[in-house]
Amino acid sequence: MTQVPVNTSVLNENQRIAGRLRDEFAASGTLCLNFISSPGSGKTALLEKTLEFLPREVRAAVLTGDLQTDNDARRLARYGYPVRQITTVGACHLDARMVEKHLEGWRLADIDLLLIENVGNLVCPTSYELGEEAKIVVLSVTEGEDKPLKYPGIFRKAQLMILNKIDLLPYVPFEAELARENARRIHPEIEIIETSCTSGAGLDTWMDWLQRRMAHKAPRAAAAGVETYF
Amino acid sequence: MHEMGIASSVLEAVGKEMERYPGRRVVKVGLRIGEFAGVDTESLKFCFEVISKSSELAPIELDLTWCRVEDGLSGEELDLAYLELEDEELPT
Repeated sequence: MTQVPVNTSVLNENQRIAGRLRDEFAASGTLCLNFISSPGSGKTALLEKTLEFLPREVRAAVLTGDLQTDNDARRLARYGYPVRQITTVGACHLDARMVEKHLEGWRLADIDLLLIENVGNLVCPTSYELGEEAKIVVLSVTEGEDKPLKYPGIFRKAQLMILNKIDLLPYVPFEAELARENARRIHPEIEIIETSCTSGAGLDTWMDWLQRRMAHKAPRAAAAGVETYF
Repeated sequence: MHEMGIASSVLEAVGKEMERYPGRRVVKVGLRIGEFAGVDTESLKFCFEVISKSSELAPIELDLTWCRVEDGLSGEELDLAYLELEDEELPT
């Protein structure tokens, strides 16, 4: 027998496509964010509020992933931005190929902000890069404070944790400080914002974070005559 | 949950790598799996066994190495480490 070294990623093909998407987003000045959480933590509600409060001059678009139904896309489409549902038909995560395929027909130079709502799952989406600039993990106070310890992969990779449904804190035995400590144990630099999409608490802080990230995007490549179509 | 997809990606990656060794047969593939890669190794072994049987690479063995941060590794590994190839028959 002969052993030959390989040393490539198993998900090489996904990473290749994600790299291509990342280059396209950089060229068009599109900020792409990948939202990951358990089912039911409030990703769709957070995106609804985000679209509601977004300054109208920001050209946003949304891709939303689920195993079945286009319920989320219909909810999000009410805000007047382009929205597409990615139905994975059983797959527990989005991959870069699905994102690339669902961007077809959209002109990236016309999109300042691309919000991707991943399939509700704290494990599998962590492994698949989508070309995003940042992963955002959403944790709600109806879950356990120890989620960051139980599912460390996503909390290590996410730049921001949104602790959602904080209006329910008086009614649930959830220690917000302990959840923050646990997240920082896994990822000391993780940023944390607390929100409630019902009361509106913290949404101004979240919108400020988003605006800051958008302001940091490179000057639009379109000005240099580069345009990307899918 | 996504181990079937990972197993399928492994076979795809092995097939692609084997294009460099025309006429050779692969008997074993070595994978490095990090503790934070989000992969259940038992489930991956099972999925790999199931789908590799019906692939043109069958029979092929899977060798998993678990990578931990406390051993100085990143813990994010999901890598194809090596292939073991059957030796070429020498002309008689």
